[in-house]
Amino acid sequence: MSVFQAILCGLIYYAGNGNILGGYGYYTAYRPLVAGFLTGCILGDPVTGTIIGGTINLMYIGAISAGGALASDMCLAGIVGTAVGITSGLAPEAAMAVAVPIGLLGTLLWFGRLTVDTIFVRGAEKMVAKGQTDKIWIMDFLLPQLLLLVVTVVPCALACYFGAQYIEGFLNMLGSTVLSALITIGGMMPALGVAITLKFIFKGDARVFFLLGFLMTAYLSLGMTAVGFFSVCIVLIYMQVTKNKEVGVNG
Amino acid sequence: MAKLTKKDAIRTWFTWFMCAQAAYNYERMQGLGFLHAMCPSLGKLYKENEEGRKAAMERHMDFFNTEPFTGASIVGLSLAMEEEISEGKDIDPDAIRSLKTGMMGPLAGIGDSVVQGVVIPLLLIFAINFAMQGVVAAPIIYMLVTLVMTFGYSYFMFMLGYKKGHDAILSMLESGVIDKVINGASMLGCMVLGALVCNYVSLNCGIVIEQANGVYFNLQESLFDAILPGMLPLLLTMGCLWLLKKGKSTVWVLVFIIVLGAAGSALGIFA
Repeated sequence: MSVFQAILCGLIYYAGNGNILGGYGYYTAYRPLVAGFLTGCILGDPVTGTIIGGTINLMYIGAISAGGALASDMCLAGIVGTAVGITSGLAPEAAMAVAVPIGLLGTLLWFGRLTVDTIFVRGAEKMVAKGQTDKIWIMDFLLPQLLLLVVTVVPCALACYFGAQYIEGFLNMLGSTVLSALITIGGMMPALGVAITLKFIFKGDARVFFLLGFLMTAYLSLGMTAVGFFSVCIVLIYMQVTKNKEVGVNG
Repeated sequence: MAKLTKKDAIRTWFTWFMCAQAAYNYERMQGLGFLHAMCPSLGKLYKENEEGRKAAMERHMDFFNTEPFTGASIVGLSLAMEEEISEGKDIDPDAIRSLKTGMMGPLAGIGDSVVQGVVIPLLLIFAINFAMQGVVAAPIIYMLVTLVMTFGYSYFMFMLGYKKGHDAILSMLESGVIDKVINGASMLGCMVLGALVCNYVSLNCGIVIEQANGVYFNLQESLFDAILPGMLPLLLTMGCLWLLKKGKSTVWVLVFIIVLGAAGSALGIFA
């Protein structure tokens, strides 16, 4: 990986965290699915990037950042995991097992940022005291985003650059037992991703539908798209049948 | 007396969409973003009235935190109220403050469960399903769909607050339509997640028992796969959910999985 490619990877990280895309960035560049695809484009292998990014994203399907709390930095995990996965030829599950702990480190940046950004409130207070409506953008956009650009691009670019260089040798040194353990762990991780989502929706009448979806795949071997279309019909039928009764959500 | 044009309103919405969390911080959260969005219009409304302008700026820098797309309606509503105050209507300026604070919680609750809890996960599940087969179009289509949805939904909510006001937002929240959507989408989400567990969580038992010379009993193939394929992934997922519901943190469960996977793999229990 060249230095230039590493910096471009860092820019994806900024696009996910920063506000160059506004609220849209959090739902696109911040998701490993998209971040992995973009990283793949930068490294000249969009197909592998999409596969690894999608795999890593399984872990973060239902990640909710409510009230400014963030459980894990899926964006950093997506970019570094994909970059390392492509350059070292890791299996997607192994790339995932490497990426997720990196995502935990990334949350430090989030907490640091929310703490440091407080200084811009002081700056804005001075502008409010003078009634300068035309200057607030400096404190709300320009300065905090410049700061964010530096603190996102630098660590992400470094992680991609050195990760790509050393992880392969490091894993080879540890041998095939470690690699197969990583693949096992990577295969288990989506269970947590699903459980996080289920925590919010696995309630009342919805519970039996989870089992139904599982059984349709386990016994009938239906693909996800087939299950998706069947689900829409089954849920609509269910709602029509129970239309006149109270449907308990919190039961 | 300055009047706001549609262009001013759209500018306010767009600034909010882009910069709501540009200076996200623990002290005021989206407070600066809110002020930033209001500023161009406040500058116009209070062009000649410096004291009024300062007071208006100050009341929009309060602590504010909500789901930005659904919460755009609060920005729209505040803009409409500022317009009326500057026209000399008898509105207590502090009413805007309490309205903002009163609405941000409920709207965040609804917004987070609809946007982050249901819509985005469902879109992601389908996009990921194709992405893992190497379909490069999957992330691209996902980006296009979210582009239309985020901009469209946020703009709709802003205009709802700006044009229809407080009552419209409340009646939309109370009509029960949202509950129905969440309810139906939860069932849909559960079903698709069930399929996802079977397809993409992988955990196989590696224990093979030698019964007689050359006859082996493979626990995974002869027992688990015979009863219910994907049984171990299902148990693992339910186990994670149980731990989360017991109040364990995500990181705790993650470490648990890593330890379990590493130990199981080293001992040959998992293959």
